Amino acid sequence: MLAELGHFSLVLALLMAILLAIYPMWGAQRGQVLLMQTAKPLTVGLFLFTLFAYLCLTQSFLNNDFSIAYVAHNSNSLLPWYYQITAVWGGHEGSFLLWVLIFAAWAVAVAMFSGGIPQDILARVLAIMGMVGIGFYLYILLASNPFERLLPFFPVDGRDLNPLLQDFGMIIHPPLLYMGYVGFSVVFAFAIAALVAGRLDSTWARWSRPWTLAAWVFLTLGIALGSWWAYKELGWGGWWFWDPVENASFMPWLVGTALLHSLAVTEKRKAFKSWTVLLAIAAFSLSLLGTFLVRSGVLVSVHSFASDPTRGLFILGLLVLVIGASLLLYALRAPQLRSVGRYELLSRETMLIGNNILLCSATLVVLMGTLLPLVHKELGLGSISIGAPFFDQMFVYLIVPFVLLMVMGPLSRWKHQTLPALRNQMLAGVGLSVVAVALLSFGRDGLSYMATLGMALSVWIAIATVQEIRQRLSASKQGLAGLTSLTPSHWGMVMGHLGFAAMIMGIAMVTSYSVERDVRMTPGDSIELQGYEFRFLGVEILKGPNYSGHVAKLDVYENGRKISHLEAQKRFYTVQRNMMTEAAVDPGFTRDLYVALGEQLNNGDWALRVYVKPYIRWIWGGAALMAIGGLLSMSDKRYRMSKLAKVRVKSEAMAGEAA
Amino acid sequence: MKKLLCALAMMLPLSVFAVEEVYSFASDKQRQEFKELTEELRCPKCQNQNIADSDALVAQDLKRKVYQLMQQGKSKGEIIDYMKDRYGDFVYYQPPLNPATILLWLGPIAFIGGAALMVVRRRRSTVSELDAALLAQAEQLLDKDQTQENKP
Amino acid sequence: MKRIGLFLLPLGLFLLITVFLLQGLFSNPRDIESSLLNQPVPTFRLPDVMDASIEYGPEVFDGEVTLLNVWGTWCVTCAIELPFLTELRQQGVRIVGLYYEQNMDPDFGGKTLPEIRLDIDKTLSQLGNPYVFNIFDEQRDTSMDFGVTGAPETFLIDRQGKVRLHHVGDLNERVWQTKFLPLYQELSQ
Repeated sequence: MLAELGHFSLVLALLMAILLAIYPMWGAQRGQVLLMQTAKPLTVGLFLFTLFAYLCLTQSFLNNDFSIAYVAHNSNSLLPWYYQITAVWGGHEGSFLLWVLIFAAWAVAVAMFSGGIPQDILARVLAIMGMVGIGFYLYILLASNPFERLLPFFPVDGRDLNPLLQDFGMIIHPPLLYMGYVGFSVVFAFAIAALVAGRLDSTWARWSRPWTLAAWVFLTLGIALGSWWAYKELGWGGWWFWDPVENASFMPWLVGTALLHSLAVTEKRKAFKSWTVLLAIAAFSLSLLGTFLVRSGVLVSVHSFASDPTRGLFILGLLVLVIGASLLLYALRAPQLRSVGRYELLSRETMLIGNNILLCSATLVVLMGTLLPLVHKELGLGSISIGAPFFDQMFVYLIVPFVLLMVMGPLSRWKHQTLPALRNQMLAGVGLSVVAVALLSFGRDGLSYMATLGMALSVWIAIATVQEIRQRLSASKQGLAGLTSLTPSHWGMVMGHLGFAAMIMGIAMVTSYSVERDVRMTPGDSIELQGYEFRFLGVEILKGPNYSGHVAKLDVYENGRKISHLEAQKRFYTVQRNMMTEAAVDPGFTRDLYVALGEQLNNGDWALRVYVKPYIRWIWGGAALMAIGGLLSMSDKRYRMSKLAKVRVKSEAMAGEAA
Repeated sequence: MKKLLCALAMMLPLSVFAVEEVYSFASDKQRQEFKELTEELRCPKCQNQNIADSDALVAQDLKRKVYQLMQQGKSKGEIIDYMKDRYGDFVYYQPPLNPATILLWLGPIAFIGGAALMVVRRRRSTVSELDAALLAQAEQLLDKDQTQENKP
Repeated sequence: MKRIGLFLLPLGLFLLITVFLLQGLFSNPRDIESSLLNQPVPTFRLPDVMDASIEYGPEVFDGEVTLLNVWGTWCVTCAIELPFLTELRQQGVRIVGLYYEQNMDPDFGGKTLPEIRLDIDKTLSQLGNPYVFNIFDEQRDTSMDFGVTGAPETFLIDRQGKVRLHHVGDLNERVWQTKFLPLYQELSQ
């Protein structure tokens, strides 16, 4: 019964989406206030019906209702209750239901928190979201219905949740990622609404910015969490694999980062308008493309859902409609956009657009690297692989000019920057970072060029960030008290850039200075690695609720003193018949100690992998700092709605002057 | 004698035993090269995994072969060619250079070049606001002319 | 008007991509073309799995169109295809086995040769024996030379001893009819 209710509720949500796509848009085009006013209640309805459907599915999981195909395939009566709740998004259908729920939640957020936005714009934005929503809801109802019944014959027990997904990281990784992906639909809707209305003044940029920031923060956290999860769950000690599906989440992030910066220029300087609109469309388009890649099975990846060509066709059709139509609209309308702001070649605008270009070419590298194997094969040229060696090489080339511009940008003024002042700051920065790197790598044998370069770049960004704050302070003439006068969004930038610096540091250190050993050990054996002695105590039998396995126990000594106890597990999930490694990690600020348990060998020895990974926490720490930066920027007063209302008055006044 | 054995046994856990590595190497440089090779060769059987990470039988075999070839003094390039001869370009994570894959490198370069050119030209074309306004007017007129010409 | 051309560029690129994505939907990304195709089989000298005194080399493929089937008693999918292969043998197709064992690997189970021979006898008497003989590739080096990624896999080898087809996965009626039969008939003429 619950399943039928949930299914019906989804149908009603589709109806809401259809009405939402029609009435408010019609009202906005005709100037009929009553029709425009339907946007808000329709959006709320959309959200409530989706939420109800979602709760129905969750309750069916808790009820162990294995007559529902999706529940039978992704749950088991032995599965702990908290995993039963998260198992709702453990497979294709349910995860898409979560996707539409998050989509509806974003739509409601837009409807609720956009009081300051002119009614016609808001009506259009919500209508655009309704149109996109029609596609999503049709897809879930027609091609991946999570409520389908297995009647009259259904299993006594379910096939259990994929053990990879039975982990805390997995509980929050997909929702965060989807918040990011779908969050870009809001920015997309704002851009399209502005194109439709033909109003692309800088107010549009201001309205979009907090939404872009929010989506970007979620995406940043989601990707970082996925990386952290893979690190401890897959047992290879890796944190990024350039897997097609990882790439699919990385592309919207890169474009989203570019969008954040170009929105700033469009808002403050009224420049790069058509470029910014294109980025807003691209960010959401790449999110959709990612969905297609994950759910259609066109690429070989560790993450793919079971592939099904009809589903693939459906999403591809959706892609063509949504992206194709918006790019066509863009091609027709964008040429009319005139950027008003003027700037010299040496100015903050140029640095920002420069970095935008680099971010987009990085996106292009990832896009081509992900899709070219497919194209190559379809052209009859045979199968090729594009992986870490290629991407690493390209990103090393790209990061150097990127950091250069990243350092110069904040130090430069808008419109026009004089060369000598900038040059002096840069020389000081380079000098200081060379000294810092020399100090940091003093006494390390076997220096790696890559690590040294990465460290230098990282330190340089940090120094430039401090230089920029000093510059601000001396301009405000208040001394340190001036720190309080800096806006939250300025602090957001500082945090974001420092986070990026920390991340580069982590990446440089961990790729160059990690050490690992593949060893066979009997209880009592020790292995020494980088001054840490790993002492193998033995292996014990492990018994969990839905798995059994082995746990290896080790003590770690440094200079004869015990500093840690590690327990690396190898689990066998009985229902799914799947082996899983749970690596043991002793986290640290400057290094992680990491042990993964392998097979038992014939003579009773155990195969173990032991790693020392320097600075790996800095990668995720950096991502967290960036996300905090994003939150700080969002908290800036000028995005509060009362302020936006004033902006509206002003912009209308300006529009009046222009006319 | 018994006491001595006990004492020895108690000392045992304190001493560091030379643990047997699954693959042992004469030097750190060799170990590093083995790590690089096994991370850059793709397991031909599994989903997207390199042979260092994969537990599949064929990945184990390839790892062992890489080790054997290294012990025979083969260079990194020779080992990669050996694998490509048997499993095709697919087995190596760095794509081969050919007319189709050249796009991978040229595409981003062309994009950066083109975009940079546009930024410089745009900026130059709008030297002063007055000029820009005139230019825009002129362009509009031109556009109008063109559309009128295009009409039959 | 020429400005529009530039703004149409993203749309054009996107549509180009969708063409390939559409094609990609209907092909299996895991199908990888063998690099041995139309090449002579690699040289090898290996014993019979049942009798170490008999040795085989590439000459066993001379003069007859042959299916070389990679298999092992440990492999579940192989057991599924054995009855169909036996049927093919009854129709006159010559099938040679390349015995690919993982359980002799000390890391995977460490069975002895007599144990394996017993397993083979048992499996083949239960499910049917399609093989003229079985080549025993204990170290799996020859399998690597053939580009074998696992079991089961099947090669179609022509009278000149050249590899004409490499199929990964089980060989069933459908695969035989669509992928193998046309080429097999052509080569047999």
